[in-house]
Amino acid sequence: MRYPVGVDQRDDDRDPLIEALKRDVDVTLLERNLKLTPQQRIDQLVEMQRFAAELAEAGRKSRERR
Amino acid sequence: MTDYRKALDTLRGGQVRFIVIGGVAAAAHGSAQLTNDLDVVYARSPDDVTRLAAALAPHSPYLRGVPAGLPFRFDAATIKQGLNFTLDTDFGPLDLLGEATGGGTFDALLPHTITLDLYGGPCLCVDLATLIRLKRAAGRPKDILALAELEALLALSTK
Repeated sequence: MRYPVGVDQRDDDRDPLIEALKRDVDVTLLERNLKLTPQQRIDQLVEMQRFAAELAEAGRKSRERR
Repeated sequence: MTDYRKALDTLRGGQVRFIVIGGVAAAAHGSAQLTNDLDVVYARSPDDVTRLAAALAPHSPYLRGVPAGLPFRFDAATIKQGLNFTLDTDFGPLDLLGEATGGGTFDALLPHTITLDLYGGPCLCVDLATLIRLKRAAGRPKDILALAELEALLALSTK
């Protein structure tokens, strides 16, 4: 589900670029996150960081093997 | 990447007054974006500055991206003479802001915070509306991208 552009905002607050970018915001991810506690959200961030670090390391090793 | 538990324990243990802003604040509010450092606005009274220097001293604070070996000491005098510091520490990157663009000082931001329970203790975090204001003021490309999501979050959380 994508974010309905411009919801709950005054017209004078709207930046056309941001409004355009909102079309690509995946609201389902945000809704899922809002069901978590702040601590659970930070824990999820840490897991994402670990995964990103592992991917980066795997990429580095792959480049070294070439 | 920053060890958030250790960073928060260090600052809280040293009785440093600080407010979490930036990507970690966004994550705490529900953002799905990845961030790798911790941005905080710190209080700058003489006592606060002394406590901040003492709290970080055991954690090898050093300017991030600067060649090793320069005569840099993160002590109270350095903090007083400077304002915003991007540091590497033994618990990872830590950005210390005496003043955040668009948000001002610790005292100016304080009325716009919420208290979160993180890693077993209270932690002041900028509220979502103010985080959006800070991101708008910063205006970097990554902030523009973050704003779309944060404004979506604000709309969802006020439904």
